[in-house]
Amino acid sequence: MDEILKIRVRNLRAKVCSGEIKSVEIVKACFKRIKEVDSKIKAFLKLDEEHSLKQAAQTDNKIKTGAECGSLEGIPIGIKDNIMIKGESMTSASKYLENYISPYNAAVIEKLKEAGAVFVGRTNMDEFAMGGSTEASAYQKTANPWNIERIPGGSSGGSASAVSSGMVPFALGSDTGGSIRQPAGFCGIVGYKPSYGLISRYGVCALASSFDQIGVLSKDVKDAALLTSVIAGEDYRDPVCCPGERIDYTSGIDNPDILKTVKIGIPKQLLDYKMDGEISECFSKAVNKLELEGATIAEIDIAAYKYVLALYKVIMCAEVSANIATFDGIRYGHRSSSGRNLNDEYAKSRAESLGYEVKKRILFGTYVLGAKNYYRCYHQAQKVRTLLINQINEAYKKCDFIFSPATLQMPVKFGETLSEECDIFVTAANLAGLPGITVPCSFVSSGMPMGVHFMGSRFSDAKLFQIANAFERISGFDLNKYPVL
Amino acid sequence: MADYETVVGLEVHMQINTKSKVFCECSAKFGSEPNSNTCVICTSQPGAIPILNKKAVEAVVKTGLALNFTINKRCTFARKQYFYPDVPKNYQITQSDPPLCSGGKLAIIVGGKEKIVNIARIHLEEDAGKLVHEIGGKKLNYSLLDLNRAGVGLMELVTEPEISSPQEALEFLKELKNIVEYLETSECSMEEGKMRCDVNVSIRPVGQKEFGTRVEIKNMNSISGIRDAITYEVERQKEVLNSGGRLTQETRLWDAEERITKSMRSKEGALDYRYFPEPDLVPFDLMDSFVEELRKQVLELPKARKTRFMKDYGLSEYDAAYLTSVRMIADYYEESLNVLKNEKSGVLAKKFVVAAKTLANWISTELSAKLNASKTSIADAPVSSRNLAKLVSLILDGAISGKMAKTVFEEMYEKSTDPEMIVKEKGLMQISDESAIVKMCEEAVSESPKAVAEFKSGKERAVGAVIGLVMKKSKGQANPQLVNKILMEKLKT
Repeated sequence: MDEILKIRVRNLRAKVCSGEIKSVEIVKACFKRIKEVDSKIKAFLKLDEEHSLKQAAQTDNKIKTGAECGSLEGIPIGIKDNIMIKGESMTSASKYLENYISPYNAAVIEKLKEAGAVFVGRTNMDEFAMGGSTEASAYQKTANPWNIERIPGGSSGGSASAVSSGMVPFALGSDTGGSIRQPAGFCGIVGYKPSYGLISRYGVCALASSFDQIGVLSKDVKDAALLTSVIAGEDYRDPVCCPGERIDYTSGIDNPDILKTVKIGIPKQLLDYKMDGEISECFSKAVNKLELEGATIAEIDIAAYKYVLALYKVIMCAEVSANIATFDGIRYGHRSSSGRNLNDEYAKSRAESLGYEVKKRILFGTYVLGAKNYYRCYHQAQKVRTLLINQINEAYKKCDFIFSPATLQMPVKFGETLSEECDIFVTAANLAGLPGITVPCSFVSSGMPMGVHFMGSRFSDAKLFQIANAFERISGFDLNKYPVL
Repeated sequence: MADYETVVGLEVHMQINTKSKVFCECSAKFGSEPNSNTCVICTSQPGAIPILNKKAVEAVVKTGLALNFTINKRCTFARKQYFYPDVPKNYQITQSDPPLCSGGKLAIIVGGKEKIVNIARIHLEEDAGKLVHEIGGKKLNYSLLDLNRAGVGLMELVTEPEISSPQEALEFLKELKNIVEYLETSECSMEEGKMRCDVNVSIRPVGQKEFGTRVEIKNMNSISGIRDAITYEVERQKEVLNSGGRLTQETRLWDAEERITKSMRSKEGALDYRYFPEPDLVPFDLMDSFVEELRKQVLELPKARKTRFMKDYGLSEYDAAYLTSVRMIADYYEESLNVLKNEKSGVLAKKFVVAAKTLANWISTELSAKLNASKTSIADAPVSSRNLAKLVSLILDGAISGKMAKTVFEEMYEKSTDPEMIVKEKGLMQISDESAIVKMCEEAVSESPKAVAEFKSGKERAVGAVIGLVMKKSKGQANPQLVNKILMEKLKT
């Protein structure tokens, strides 16, 4: 693996801007690595080396002329395949969108282009981001770089594997119920989901609109903060995106006092679930480390955690059933050639092109919204969601961050299923619209990494980066260790 | 046979008069090239998110204020789900509870008596696109989809079931249309589909409290068609009940050619729309200042304007009612009257009531006849309000006679020209120079001995021949009042 790929983004950018390293060299190194390892990992659905190199060459020429250097100038990035790049295919890993070409750029893509980032390729995912293993992709299964017989997690499994194996320094993902932070945990990298409304959703193929957020996967916390600084901020095209000045999340990230002043809340409810023994052990050590550095540890009680799974399923599936309805074969996407009439055409087009998991969620969502079930299912779930939010807000009176393992078990082998509770402490952040970040913690005996998760209060994202960065410093996790492939 | 009473409720959809659609920036213009007013949002591309058009909210609130509604400050949207190709998302963004406006009312006059119709709600939603199944009368074996209309703002108004005759329904819709056109919140043209109405009709024996079985009628494209459909449907229902039959809850279509309603689908086939709150549009509260500002903008409504016309301009109720029946006519009238006021203040001060009345007459007779004949809206009238004012001022000054004015008006309508120019060009100026008229009168008297003799023998009508001769000599330009006066003086001495 080329040493260039081990340099952090912020340093790479400085070297590109000073002319010390050419963007073309970095992009070439990425493609070399991809050619070496992606046949085993299968993180990318689509790559365009020629186009990426052209973009990189343009950057290099721009630097030569002394033009202003963008905040991600010349840095290669992987983009999850549910984010729109104008003129490029966007499949969301579904057969339905196999031949779909994006007619516009997502808000985050506009910002990345402006910052000078180079798009390397589209990363694999569960179909329409529905899943937690990336096995639900209609195209290919992505492997966990630390053990290629195991899943990378999901739905942003392609992005997580690509970053973890050093094919790209960072990537975009989307997170509806842990889809960035769970695979980040499984792959030993940083995965961050912002507060709901911090990053524009304009141009990301919707899963569950009230939970969806774009977020980042990177090798370390500072790079995540750097990328977030570029893509966050107001956008009138997403009505839930909050107005406000652009924030530089990297400034003050090294806050030296954070560990001495912070109060870390540990949910009592962690004990209610079956947790992998080694994960439990690593997590306890992590808590001790924080305490040793001066952090106050507080036990918190959020009884409504027990509803997370149920209410996530009900609300998410309800929104899915409506959001996916637009994929009807009429205006774009797969259209069956054997429809006998309109309804038959709808049914066949969808039956032929949507995967099992997608169909299951549509059916469940349709059920919970039916006139007979609405009040006892959907409406009830919304009430419980409010209850959960209230309990979490109550807990934040006793602590600044809620701390848990990113996942309660290690990644399983292909074909095996994770327990449903595996990432409920991560999913809670989506239900409450809160920011969450997974930080690598340690390697377990099998040689695979495990991660921990900090969840902050709404719009405490800057402080969340500070605590995550501080933990990264004291964790003892070797960030320079890459999987051997 | 039982005596039945009619119970009607209306659901009126009105396209909101905004430049752009309700959830995207596309033009809401009618009649553009198919699919030219579309974007990633209204064609529902992946990743597109609706953004609310503030002007559409304003229009609904304004309409609600004019109809005495309570404005619900909390603004929320819902998804109404059903699959159909003209709804690209396969759900319609609409409002469930609360709607923007609750509990309004509208007064109508039927048979000389006022009746208050309560209106349950007005809510904001998006229109669907259009499917085309035939071209030039030829049925296609495929369908074409035009999404220009998809996402255009609609307000849906739902009355309480309190309308009790076809005529009441007609009056309600006429009054509603008039008010909404006044507010300019919708153009309300049923021909262009900018106003659509579904009608719920049931009958029940007089005195019974419970409602009868309700039938929904769709597909009417004129207000009189709605009246006729209700009339037909009520008779149909009576016949069914009187012959011992039972009514089914169903949707029926009005066939304007056969003038009957036909069953479309029964209630059993009704859809479950699976409404739920629209997660892309977070609920928000309207600020008090926002509503108050709109309250100020709710213009004088037709009734108040009619009263003012009678009081300020001395118009008869008949004239005032005609002029205020359509906002554009009333505007035209007042513009024209202002021109008269500004330019002829001296003359007008004395003859204001005459001027106001003369102007009203010209609009309600000559102008409206011409406009009706050529099916032209007053907004596109070839005679501008300024030119009509000039014409009236020429008449009031005695510069032209009423008869000449009609000739001038013909020309004004044909060529859109200034009446003063026409009068000058054609030499139509009325002769009011007394010495000239005296001379012509003397000539005419000496040339008509027979008529003069008859007059003097007491046959007063004989003077007509002499007047005719004077008018002929003056080529019709002599001031008739002066001619009359001078001749009488001459003949009576």
